[in-house]
Amino acid sequence: MPDLGKLALGIALLLAVYSIGANIYGARRGAPDFVVSARHAVWAMCAMVTIAVVALWMALLRSDFSLEYVAAYSSTTLPALYKITSLWGGQQGSLLFWTWLLAIFTSIAALQNRRRNPEIAPYALAVMAGVAVFFLGMLNFVTRPFDLLAAIPAEGSDLNPLLQNYWMAIHPPSLYIGYVSSTVPFAFGAAALITGKLDDAWIRTTRRWAIVSWFFLTLGNLFGARWAYEVLGWGGYWAWDPVENAAFMPWLVMTAYLHSVMIQERKDMLKVWNLALIGLVFGLTLFGTFITRSGVISSVHSFTQSGLGPYFLTFLIIVVLSYTALLIYRSRELRSPAEFESYLSREAAFLFNNLVLVGIAFAVFWGTIFPVISEAVRGVKITVGPPFFNRVNGPLALALVFLMGVGPLIAWRRTTLDNLIRSFAAPATIGIATGIIAAGAGIRAWYVLTAFSLAAFGLGTVIVEFRRGVGARRHMLSEPRAKALMNLVAKNNRRYGGYLIHVGVIVAFVGIVGSSFFRTEVKKSVREGQSFTIGSYTLRYLGLKQTETAHLESATARIQVLRADGREVATMAPAKLFYKRPQQPATIVAIRSTPLSDLYIVLAGVDETGASATFEVFLTPLVFWLWAGGLLMVIGTVVVMWPNVRERAAIAEALSGVAARENAGEAASGGE
Amino acid sequence: MRVRARFFVGAAIIVVAIGYLIVSAIRTTSEYYLTVNEAIARKAELGDQRVRIAGRVKAGTISWEPATLTLKFEMAQIPDAPAGAITPVAASPASELRVIAAGEPKPDMLAAGRDVIVEGTLGAGGNVIATQVLTSCPSKYKPKQAE
Repeated sequence: MPDLGKLALGIALLLAVYSIGANIYGARRGAPDFVVSARHAVWAMCAMVTIAVVALWMALLRSDFSLEYVAAYSSTTLPALYKITSLWGGQQGSLLFWTWLLAIFTSIAALQNRRRNPEIAPYALAVMAGVAVFFLGMLNFVTRPFDLLAAIPAEGSDLNPLLQNYWMAIHPPSLYIGYVSSTVPFAFGAAALITGKLDDAWIRTTRRWAIVSWFFLTLGNLFGARWAYEVLGWGGYWAWDPVENAAFMPWLVMTAYLHSVMIQERKDMLKVWNLALIGLVFGLTLFGTFITRSGVISSVHSFTQSGLGPYFLTFLIIVVLSYTALLIYRSRELRSPAEFESYLSREAAFLFNNLVLVGIAFAVFWGTIFPVISEAVRGVKITVGPPFFNRVNGPLALALVFLMGVGPLIAWRRTTLDNLIRSFAAPATIGIATGIIAAGAGIRAWYVLTAFSLAAFGLGTVIVEFRRGVGARRHMLSEPRAKALMNLVAKNNRRYGGYLIHVGVIVAFVGIVGSSFFRTEVKKSVREGQSFTIGSYTLRYLGLKQTETAHLESATARIQVLRADGREVATMAPAKLFYKRPQQPATIVAIRSTPLSDLYIVLAGVDETGASATFEVFLTPLVFWLWAGGLLMVIGTVVVMWPNVRERAAIAEALSGVAARENAGEAASGGE
Repeated sequence: MRVRARFFVGAAIIVVAIGYLIVSAIRTTSEYYLTVNEAIARKAELGDQRVRIAGRVKAGTISWEPATLTLKFEMAQIPDAPAGAITPVAASPASELRVIAAGEPKPDMLAAGRDVIVEGTLGAGGNVIATQVLTSCPSKYKPKQAE
């Protein structure tokens, strides 16, 4: 089986190399046979990588410890689910998984474009095959998943207990899907640059890919945050660690891209900007992989070097330089005829939203690489921690929420003062009223007051939009309200799904602000029967239960939770586990979540007899809404992605129209 | 052209504002990130500045009092990465820092031989008064050569 996997990876590399050559030769010489065979090569490559993945999975499931990888990341006692997830638990496996996704996505793109985009698709596939060559090269020559051990151990060293968790089973694949699927729009953007077909065909063709990528990046970040919250036991969900930042930056830039392409589709503007953004997204995914594997930037997640850094850095530099060169080479053709007309226009709101999003991404990038830069410039490493990121991104987040409210309601091109007042009177009132109510409730921090006001304003604009749409349908088609709402969303799923995502972002933002500003924390050592208070809760320590199995020892505390009026609301059971192999403790946090606040109890320590225990307790208001907002974002994205017959027809028409125009334009363009 | 210029002004204002935020935040929040050896060498000039120090936990030095949430351990310089670096035969003088962290639960991953980042100040007597002890990851990407 390992030999088969190794062989398959070798063949896959050859196929990828062939596919690059055949695509380019076929497209340049107008030899469709070569393009067809290049496509077949992509599919064959995908089959080969699939064989390798299955081979590694089989080895993991059979606990074949002759494989170094299996011995390092699995064991006979590991549950089957985590044997499967061990595929991305270690370096070689995760690169193989990455390559597999790339092969699958490239194959799908090849299938989608077998009749469409005859000019740019071969180049796009060549670019994707080029990326595959890099990864397959790594898997064949640098970090090989099928390396054998000289001496076969009786038992593997097991997957880290912290990773034996369902969030960890779904978080990495989500991020990887998000990362890798951004390759498709990037490749089509690059192909547009190579061929000079600079209309928006590449954007339309890959819009769905971009949304899918964004969707999975969103999921990946949310799952990661949730994992940190549930498993790590520090009461928070985000620490601005370089590894987290590496996942956050592509999300930010992809968000900017999804907005700015709307301006290009509508107004034929920002061509360079869009191409630059998608290049940036792809570059950031490589950068993320680079920093998590290079040890260049010390992270809580990976201090150590793995020797892959230089390869990734080289590849990243090649990609960035050649893409930038292409952009410069085409810059004259990319000038757009249209211009912005007014600050008070949707274009302007979108442009500023883009600047803020990219600004946040840049701030995160700068904070992440600052230690490296300061060491290079001043000879001493200087780091910035969460305070830096919060300080910079706090105000920018406010600006973003404000623009999110403005964008949907303001007209394209320009807006009159009258219009402005009519559109924004209600949301602005809602926002100001919210601020006043919050101040009346005793909130004094100006940031929180502003944040809540802007959030309410943003929600208000969405409500106004929905009301407008429903009202129009009721008026013109005399549909009842519920039906009008359903049809409104179904017929304009991109637009109203987008609003749902906005609502999700605003709700999550409220959760983040609330949980950051109002969290309280109590650390207490208590004997059995004693109690202590946090907020309006009284917590009584009832006792400890200790058990032992072959796998681990556990100590579970029972805590009775009483409200201020003495009513019992729950019994919670934070626990501490001690794994026997590898010898390592793990914390099981007890969380009681309500929309108002989360009660979060960590069993921090137990004395020898178990008679007294130490707890760390967090009371975190509104954190519930972070997850609720995340869920709304997910639902909204599903609405956006829902197949829309009308839209599909429009795309087909647009693409054939583009082709027709090109054919007509080709003859005419000589005179330009 | 005038319209275009106006937009460049708007965009420039945003860019400058973001730049200002970054620069001012770095000025007020940055901390030295030192190795154990560097921290010992710079002890005098550091005073009571907050620093981050990376080190490796020494075996047999961990003590943990759950009742007071007090964690003490010693950490040593992390040896240089084996990527071809030639380590001088004359080993540098044994250098350790004693870390005292109070009021935080003991991190699950803290164990002898693990790499940690300690955040805090250098107190009298060469102790690090830590407010935070970060342990190395659920590190998935260990080098083969480790340990």
